Amino acid sequence: MSENRNTVPLVIDCNAAIGEGVTWEPKTRPVNYDPAVLLRYSAQAGIRRSCIMPARSKFYREKNKEIAHLCEKYPEKFIGFAAHNPQAETGTLRQMLIEEVKSMGLKGLRTDGHPTREVLDTVAELNIPVMYYPLLGVQQPPAGPGTAGPQEYTGPARAYYIMATVYPSVNFILPHLGSYRSSEWWAHIEAIDLAKRLSNVYVETSGVLSHKYLEMAVREVPVDKIVFGSNAPEEDPRVEMFAVKLLKLSKQQETAVLGGNIGKLVAQLVA
Amino acid sequence: MSEKYEPSRREFLSRGGILLFGNALLDASGPGTRAATAIVTEQEGKVPVIDCHAHAGIARLSGTEDDLTDPWNAVADPEMIFRRAKEAGIDQTVIFPIYNRTYEKANEDIAEICRRYPGRFIGFACHSPATEAGRIRTLLLREYQAWGLRGVGELEEDPTPELLDVVKELRIPILIHPPREHVAPFNDFVPSYPDVNFIVAHLGSSGSEDFEEHLAAINLAKRYPNVYLDTSNVVITRYLEMAIEELGPQKILFASDEPESDCRLEIFKIRNLKLPKEHEEMILGGNILRLLGGSRRVP
Repeated sequence: MSENRNTVPLVIDCNAAIGEGVTWEPKTRPVNYDPAVLLRYSAQAGIRRSCIMPARSKFYREKNKEIAHLCEKYPEKFIGFAAHNPQAETGTLRQMLIEEVKSMGLKGLRTDGHPTREVLDTVAELNIPVMYYPLLGVQQPPAGPGTAGPQEYTGPARAYYIMATVYPSVNFILPHLGSYRSSEWWAHIEAIDLAKRLSNVYVETSGVLSHKYLEMAVREVPVDKIVFGSNAPEEDPRVEMFAVKLLKLSKQQETAVLGGNIGKLVAQLVA
Repeated sequence: MSEKYEPSRREFLSRGGILLFGNALLDASGPGTRAATAIVTEQEGKVPVIDCHAHAGIARLSGTEDDLTDPWNAVADPEMIFRRAKEAGIDQTVIFPIYNRTYEKANEDIAEICRRYPGRFIGFACHSPATEAGRIRTLLLREYQAWGLRGVGELEEDPTPELLDVVKELRIPILIHPPREHVAPFNDFVPSYPDVNFIVAHLGSSGSEDFEEHLAAINLAKRYPNVYLDTSNVVITRYLEMAIEELGPQKILFASDEPESDCRLEIFKIRNLKLPKEHEEMILGGNILRLLGGSRRVP
């Protein structure tokens, strides 16, 4: 998984979105992410494969089918992740996810909301990673139905510590080093502490505005716990790639961050 | 990587970030002092690369609830900015204070930092129209004339006529963070000061937190010839492309918001756009150079 036949390290973007939906911002903006744009941007950034998942949406079942379809169409380019809202889809999520992984070939899950036991039991059984970004300190109305009402003020430590210790066999990916746009600097510190403390928590690199926290992460967190992501096409993967290059890692470390680590998390399913 | 910055940073922080300087600078008013903030001009046809937005110095907030609560309420190490700027190919960086309640001492720090790094920094003064009301003209005249500070920034509140009148008098630019994270308040004061060059920080929205503020900033710069946009902290870089397409390169100023943001990454966001050379030169330095060129001495 980590090397291709020409022994060029395989660069994998572990966080890209496709299709129609809205942004994750408190003030949402409608989006329709075009796979052609993602492919073009990614090629320019030197990315060989992208983990693609649906844009934020009210309903994910059909969106996940679109993801699976694109992965069939571009098997060398895309690795599909399902997305689900654990609260809005409670009771039905397990069956959907099993089908999406076993029949449709999706390799991971992004949750739109805090993972529930239903989610975590299922991903443990399926042996797939979970990507979850806890929205920080905002009164965020979730996109899904049946989940109206503000979320509690939270951060990575509170969002992750309990579930990651209760489910040690599940691998979690925390996007944006815990704080999109570095909007809350302390959330980066919490993310770094989590990744140091818990063997099953990985941190993803996209959207870190204050680059010094990425530098802090590579100083403090074992490098095999850091995974490259771009948040493309919302963000430019060339910029996100440059942020990793700027860390001036050794070749071996950079290869791990840029693809080797996420490759291991999905290896048994992708190989 | 950043380890190589640590010794100087440790030294800086071991003093609580307090800059050790004597009173010589503060008493000086001759050309030698002003030379400390000399601006690199075009040499051999090369337009200098200038970062128009960085913070340096310390916050003196003892006794307030903001004291040492966030990075921007604590210290901003000029050595860190200097080293990263050098690596990024930035010739000069405009520096102004981090958050303080009043700015007389913080502006002294800026002047001293400019003197300690000859030719690398261009100093701007900051003032709070609320807490320093009634004193701003006197303070700013001294900071401009005696200490060589060349503009005002980063203002985080609505500017008052008291401040804008002296900015107009000195013909210096003023860089403003959108008041309460909104661009709309600019419409309240920009029309009254057509001779003042206003720089809107962060393309209107730090971190691209609110895309509508990016759009509002672009519209503002379209409407007023004296409004410019700085590029710092734009996360969704398509708004940078949109701004350049709609406004032309002459209204866009490269900026980093060092040291919380990294100028090496921020300048990559501009170079990554692969603009025509002359357009890139305008954004990376030519435009701010032009805005700084208009300042004058007040008798």
